[in-house]
Amino acid sequence: MQLNIKDIWNDLRVSLFLVYKAITRGNKFTLILTILVTTLAFINIIFISSIMNGAISKAYQQAKENYVSNIVVLPGIDEKYISQVSQLKTQINTLPGVISCCSRYAAQGVLRYDPDKDGNDVKEKAWNIKSINPEEEVKVTNLQNYIVEGRYLEETDRDQILLGREISGGYGASFELSSLKGARAGEEITVIYGNGVKRTYTIKGIYNTMFPLADLNVYVTEKEMESVLQLHNRASEILVKTDASVPEKVYIERLRQMGIENEQINIWFEFIGYISGLTQTFDTIKGIITFIGLLVAGITIFIVIFIATVNRRRQIGILKAIGMKERIIIMSYIFQAVFYALFGVTAGLLIVNFLLVPYFMRHPFPMPIGLVSLALVNRDLAVSVFSMILVSIVAGFIPSWMVTRQNIIKAIWG
Amino acid sequence: MSIISVSGLKKTFDGAVPVEALKGLDFAIEEGEFLAIMGPSGSGKSTLLHMLALLDDPTSGAIIVDGTDISRLSSSQKTSFRLNKLGYVFQEYALLPELNALENVYLPLMMLGATVKGYEKAAREMLETVGLGKRSNHLISQMSGGEQQRVAIARALVNKSKILFADEPCANLDTRNSEIVMRLLRQLCEEFKQTIIMVTHESEHRQHADRILWIKDGLLDREEKLR
Repeated sequence: MQLNIKDIWNDLRVSLFLVYKAITRGNKFTLILTILVTTLAFINIIFISSIMNGAISKAYQQAKENYVSNIVVLPGIDEKYISQVSQLKTQINTLPGVISCCSRYAAQGVLRYDPDKDGNDVKEKAWNIKSINPEEEVKVTNLQNYIVEGRYLEETDRDQILLGREISGGYGASFELSSLKGARAGEEITVIYGNGVKRTYTIKGIYNTMFPLADLNVYVTEKEMESVLQLHNRASEILVKTDASVPEKVYIERLRQMGIENEQINIWFEFIGYISGLTQTFDTIKGIITFIGLLVAGITIFIVIFIATVNRRRQIGILKAIGMKERIIIMSYIFQAVFYALFGVTAGLLIVNFLLVPYFMRHPFPMPIGLVSLALVNRDLAVSVFSMILVSIVAGFIPSWMVTRQNIIKAIWG
Repeated sequence: MSIISVSGLKKTFDGAVPVEALKGLDFAIEEGEFLAIMGPSGSGKSTLLHMLALLDDPTSGAIIVDGTDISRLSSSQKTSFRLNKLGYVFQEYALLPELNALENVYLPLMMLGATVKGYEKAAREMLETVGLGKRSNHLISQMSGGEQQRVAIARALVNKSKILFADEPCANLDTRNSEIVMRLLRQLCEEFKQTIIMVTHESEHRQHADRILWIKDGLLDREEKLR
């Protein structure tokens, strides 16, 4: 056993010696070109997956910051509203790790927009109108930072309304055709609520988070909605913003423990609808692209090693003739392939980390879910690096194994 | 005492038309002998050398090298046997271009597990023996054909090979370098009692050998004893 370990160690020593000499004294142009191609292949893998990760992460961030925050408390089954909302919010805010919470009403209504106020070309849209308490809301969502026209709502506003760009239209709305097609801040809009109450509002502001789900909302103030619905101290939903370092599931459990039993408590992910399907699709695409990228990198290294072994077939025959074990020759080519992969991976990581990521932080891609920059996920990086090394081992093994299997005489004299 | 004994050695190369390269050879080679194998092109002399040096397997017959029946050895045992007991000098130098002369020479010792100090010392001594002590750090591409062939001889002998095989060692050398290499082989035989088996078709090299085996059409044509 001891002898075997000594033998293996010595074989490793000889293989590494041959690799070191082949790399340091071999053709520098081939070396640089191979590393360059490996680097590009690796960048290709992590760049695409980083964009996908960036898009997914942006969608999640948008959902949490501008749509439903981290946790949504809904009325119990068979209940229309949550009652005793002030007390409940006070209770929620005492929970360690909860940053803040806010309540909203939601009511069905028809938006009516008559741009010329002449009864012609009137646009109508049935929609869910929500209310916000602006002072509470700014502690939970960031909508106030995305006003592109006019201003954000204030607590005392009663005849003012805030529209998302998907409702107002314009600003690159994704659902332009079903919007009010160009309502502007300062213009009037009539809302006929489901209970028959009719109110006319001035559009106070239009916001654009670039996240369609968030931009598909219409807000009035809480006081205004309570007057429409003739309700007080109730809510259709309570949004809870929590500390990101602890998973939402933990807070949901804590909320249950503190006595919120009748209401439904949901995590933000359950509200993003088609976006969650999209992220799953992104994950699949990412997997396919990573697989193809690895295949390209593997084939590149395979070709380089294959050409090297074919060109050195005679030399390999000679090494075998002077008593070199096949495994030393195979190991030396595997090490060479792993060297290309490691160098390619290192160069790729440096380029991505210090060039591409900073560049795309400054110049993010405009996507339908917001401005997306590259997101390097450690798990994906580790998988890519590990896969590259694995692929390089295979790419180094196969051609060298094929050549070393040849008869010595055939290898030397053809 | 025979270091190699051959009996009924046959080799047939398969193909559309099988070629019978060796048709049954019987002979023995003594330890410390300088044997030349000569004959016309296609006579089977190189094929014979490949069999004796364990580079190829015979179709039938027995080869006993240093008391070992090589037909009983596995592929890995043959590799180890070549490394430990045999040295081979090829027609075209066959050195690794990425290594300098010293590194080429100490490679077999590295494979045997020698220490850095040990293999460097032995390789330097062997290069001194072949007259290349001052060229040890030169890359192969910086050396002449004759020098390269002497490096190849040093590599073949550095592991204290029992038998040195040389396949047309001067085929690519000019007259002067050929003479240097042949004198070196003769010197190794005389001073170190090195067994040398050389294939050559150049008649001027016969004078350095102790004995010549003449091969013709895959058969032993005649034997010529010179010393």
